[in-house]
Amino acid sequence: MSQTSRSLFLFCSFPRNTDFPSPRRHLPLPLSLRFQFSAKPPMLESELHDLSDDADYAASLQQGSAGVMLRSDSTKQRSPSSDRDGAEIVFLKDNVAIHPTQFASERISGRLKLIKQSSALFMTWIPYKGHSSDARLSDKDRNLYTIKAVPFTDIRSIRRHNPALGWQYIIVVLSSGLAYPPLYFYSGGVKEFLATIKQHVLLVRSAEDANVFLVNDFQNTLQRTLSSLELPRAVPLACGPSNMSGGESILNENQERVDNGVDNGSLSVSQSHGRPRHKAQDPGRDLSIQVLEKFSLVTRFARETTSQIFGENQSNGFSTNERRTPIQTNLDHPKKSSDIVENIPDESPVVLDSQEFERLSLVWGKPRQSPLCSEEWLTFLDSEGRVIDSEALRKRVFYGGLDHELRNEVWGLLLGYYSYESTYAEREFLKSVKKSEYENIKNQWKSISSAQAKRFTKFRERKGLIEKDVVRTDRSLTFYEGDDNPNVTVLRDILLTYSFYNFDLGYCQGMSDLLSPILFVMDDESEAFWCFVALMERLGPNFNRDQNGMHSQLFALSKLVELLDSPLHNYFKQHDCLNYFFCFRWILIQFKREFEFERTMRLWEVLWTHYPSEHLHLYVCVAILKRYRGKIIGEEMDFDTLLKFINELSGHIDLDATLRDAEALCICAGENGAARIPPGTPPSLPVDDGSFYAQQDEIL
Amino acid sequence: MSYAYLFKYIIIGDTGVGKSCLLLQFTDKRFQPVHDLTIGVEFGARMITIDNKPIKLQIWDTAGQESFRSITRSYYRGAAGALLVYDITRRETFNHLASWLEDARQHANANMTIMLIGNKCDLAHRRAVSTEEGEQFAKEHGLIFMEASAKTAQNVEEAFIKTAATIYKKIQDGVFDVSNESYGIKVGYGGIPGPSGGRDGPSASAGTCCS
Repeated sequence: MSQTSRSLFLFCSFPRNTDFPSPRRHLPLPLSLRFQFSAKPPMLESELHDLSDDADYAASLQQGSAGVMLRSDSTKQRSPSSDRDGAEIVFLKDNVAIHPTQFASERISGRLKLIKQSSALFMTWIPYKGHSSDARLSDKDRNLYTIKAVPFTDIRSIRRHNPALGWQYIIVVLSSGLAYPPLYFYSGGVKEFLATIKQHVLLVRSAEDANVFLVNDFQNTLQRTLSSLELPRAVPLACGPSNMSGGESILNENQERVDNGVDNGSLSVSQSHGRPRHKAQDPGRDLSIQVLEKFSLVTRFARETTSQIFGENQSNGFSTNERRTPIQTNLDHPKKSSDIVENIPDESPVVLDSQEFERLSLVWGKPRQSPLCSEEWLTFLDSEGRVIDSEALRKRVFYGGLDHELRNEVWGLLLGYYSYESTYAEREFLKSVKKSEYENIKNQWKSISSAQAKRFTKFRERKGLIEKDVVRTDRSLTFYEGDDNPNVTVLRDILLTYSFYNFDLGYCQGMSDLLSPILFVMDDESEAFWCFVALMERLGPNFNRDQNGMHSQLFALSKLVELLDSPLHNYFKQHDCLNYFFCFRWILIQFKREFEFERTMRLWEVLWTHYPSEHLHLYVCVAILKRYRGKIIGEEMDFDTLLKFINELSGHIDLDATLRDAEALCICAGENGAARIPPGTPPSLPVDDGSFYAQQDEIL
Repeated sequence: MSYAYLFKYIIIGDTGVGKSCLLLQFTDKRFQPVHDLTIGVEFGARMITIDNKPIKLQIWDTAGQESFRSITRSYYRGAAGALLVYDITRRETFNHLASWLEDARQHANANMTIMLIGNKCDLAHRRAVSTEEGEQFAKEHGLIFMEASAKTAQNVEEAFIKTAATIYKKIQDGVFDVSNESYGIKVGYGGIPGPSGGRDGPSASAGTCCS
């Protein structure tokens, strides 16, 4: 039996699927496709320049050069019919990837080609070997997705997608209704791809959807095609392996090329990297989007099913691959993401369809999980109470937050007050030591007599300000409500003590908002104080008298919006809104006024993990702005209207959806995003101490 | 609800002088001793009638702490009226008026109408600033002056409306070019014809801010 690919899937919304052929249906494909490769160099000079830091590119280049040598050999060895009519490569694009799961880190990069033979046009996509960005992808996975010489007579349509973020991709739908997984053009080129096709086959833009291109649409199949593209109802289809000798030979060529050089190349890249990078910084992990996510489930399912059904067949067919140790390293050269992300504004449409954006944004990022519960928490600890894998814990908390009863125990760790390596006993000991330390500092102001206070204006002012503010902080909560509530007094005492502990910073409005949930959770004056100290280590500069911390926050935010949504940035620029003062409250008190109390605590513990980024709060800002960008731009809000609009979003923001968006945006921006945030922007530690604290911060 | 004009107000003054309470008393006619301190800016709005014309006041209530001044300054832009508030029981809030005024003069348009309010006049027994001092300061700086109490509502209505009346008179006297929104005035649908009439009228007045 034969099949174009084992990773196809079909769209069940299409009524025709009732008489759909069996998954193992044979597709008419030409046998023994043989190509005489032209002397065309594997890469153009311009591409070389653009992608010189891209590890994919580096590998592909090596593959390419190795391939040039090997092609004739392999053709000779395996192809008795090599003297057939020559085939011409009319289009070649490297770094075209599929994302077999919802995580782009598991993408499989490959080379997309259009090949003309006689009057027929074929498309191939061959994954690079030994070069996945994720170690979980085996060679088998890669082979599973290989597209082997599909003739355009079998292709019904190509749908082009220009997501707001990330890479353009296409979905190729076959006449049968089957479709290949989305092909992501990491180096651009969708337009050229379509233009090239147009030169060789009849390609008509669908009248109903400008992004759908119908191939050989002689009979008006428009309606069927469109209905077949209703992506959300796609169902998996396990397909058989291809037995087409033509396709096989291309694949084998590819495998051979890999043997000759790619491995070294990718190794050297990874080694030059030094320490293993935080996963979130892997630009390859990049964004996942709605369609991708849906497809991923489909493709993963299809792949697994296929593996089971055809396991034996595959192991026979690809035994050489499987013996080989795949070189799967983290190939995230720092500049790689920059290059890719920089391309986004150029390649994405200037003004997005806001509806489409909102629809997409709803499902970005990983699904949120349920909060970490006590039982699961224990699995993160060794018998003495040390956190075994702090990154795993941070990741878990990032995706789900904490059950409320755990906050008391875990917040101190997340904030860095307690170290992850500390045992239960050490934490108890620290607690008692810190308690007396706290009392000492508190006594500094407690011991100021009224006579002394009369001559101590600074103290009186500070105390007066704090006393005025604590009675205006979360008084609607049971914990703080009512006259003479002792918790309000504790709030005051902690803030006043802090203003002595950090006399230079003193007290600034907003601090009481940050302290209130901490005191509520810790329910212990000294513990709350030290957790607050730890939080202020991160956020203190936001409260500087000269507001430099806040200004760098807002500046960084403007840079991120410029990167992640240039039309919105341009809108703000044109409307004199670039100071981003409308986000001031969001950042200063970390969205505390935007969400109800419980949600705020959830958000904070997520932010405190510093999991995808220590500046996730900025991506949260971008996520919210993007969510409402259609309204902002559509209603032509000026600065005043925008400020009012943003203020009135309070209580209306969906936290989980926002966090998912923020995560996706953060990952999409990658290191290029990080580079836009000025050094020392809270919660980054001050630049002066950077070298020392930066390492500590990694552990946090 | 349509309006003839929309005036943008800004409330400024030291922290804790009662800016938010004045706003709430004016918009909701209630005094709420327990409320969250203002971070950044809050908004309120209310319709009033002057000369039988419906006028919408859109009021910006700002954070008072010194360190937020650099942010607060951006809110002056396009304000037609300002309520500069001090607390008659706290002398320092009166002493800081000059610096607030300087900010306002520097960042607001020159024709902005400023009302000086000595708040908390219900606390006469704790008074630290005399009414005369307030009057004197207002006179020296060309401000309208009133003592008021957000708690008892004394003079609150009057303070906001008198400011509006002054702005309205300036419009009648041709001081403003009302088609230029940088003066903090928008012309609505409520019966005033004009080339710029109505652009923001219906949408702005239909907002939820009056609640």
